[in-house]
Amino acid sequence: MSDQSKRRVTRIDELARSVPPPRDLWPAISAAIEADRVAATTTTTTASARRQSRWLPAIGMAAAVGLVAIGVIIGQNIAPKTQVTAGTQTTSPQGNAELMPAALRDANYRKQRGVLLAEVDKRLAAMPPAEREKVAASLLALRRSISEIEAQLGHDPANALLQELLVNSCQEEMRALTAVRDSGSQEI
Amino acid sequence: MGADSVVDFDAALIERARKGDSRAFERLYRDHVGRVHGLCLRMTRNPDLAADCAQDAFIKAWKALPRFEARSSFSTWLHRIAVNTVLEKRRGPSNAEIAVEDPTEYEEPVLSFDTPVEEEELEAAIQSLPQGARDALVLCGVYGYEHSEAASMLGIAVGTCKAQLHRARGLLRERLERGVR
Repeated sequence: MSDQSKRRVTRIDELARSVPPPRDLWPAISAAIEADRVAATTTTTTASARRQSRWLPAIGMAAAVGLVAIGVIIGQNIAPKTQVTAGTQTTSPQGNAELMPAALRDANYRKQRGVLLAEVDKRLAAMPPAEREKVAASLLALRRSISEIEAQLGHDPANALLQELLVNSCQEEMRALTAVRDSGSQEI
Repeated sequence: MGADSVVDFDAALIERARKGDSRAFERLYRDHVGRVHGLCLRMTRNPDLAADCAQDAFIKAWKALPRFEARSSFSTWLHRIAVNTVLEKRRGPSNAEIAVEDPTEYEEPVLSFDTPVEEEELEAAIQSLPQGARDALVLCGVYGYEHSEAASMLGIAVGTCKAQLHRARGLLRERLERGVR
């Protein structure tokens, strides 16, 4: 065994420990964090509503059934479709329509999102100011993450991973919006 | 700036991140992502999977921050999460290809560590090692962990870790010898 190979083996502790990733991972991490935060906020709101409501069992069941139904509808609308009518909309839900994956340009998804946003706005208006501020800040941060992913996609439009991240983040946003809206239905 | 200052700086950021400050966590991410990704890359030998593992590790770290007790350094804690994430991915059915033990059955990916030629050869030799030996060598040899720490991260006995490291060094010598002839 040569001295050179022995010397090389002893040099493994000199290898660079830090190897930067090929892409910035922060936008995806940030989106996950914000989704987690929105979920935590709405869980707290829902728990508070549960304590107040004497109609809990019936409302809980109705909300669960509603969530499942909405999940199915949203899932059907967001799932990538093989036949997407090009140019059905000129603008995307959040940013540049040309950069949007096909699933996010889908007219049904955009319609569902519009309806949900209107309901969430009503729900936010009915919330106590402190709570409203918290939820609005979380939703804003989630949208900021989506914008960051869109910006990255602007530099690399063909990046399948970024497109997937964007779809996932928009799905997270829909889940968060649904949770905010449904937190209101449990307080009736 | 000494190591203590770095630790204190981390501690301040961790405290802020624990209170929900995602900017502080982003700073922690920027400071640590290179080492976490390097560890994942050396353990997985797959650039895409390594980036996914590093990303998942930081998301898990954010969620687990309230449970971080500072008994170990933040860096060690983060590496433990990263190693767990890699091990989980290996156990996953969709990533069976990275659990290949016999390196002769595995087509080596071309990884770029942006290093001089001699280091590149060393990295290539490490990549060619069997999984168990490589894990022990990466954690103990490259990242400087004690046998007990590395064994705990990998979920193996300390004796097994020592044996794997011994085996790894022997194989590494052999492979470098073959390469330098």
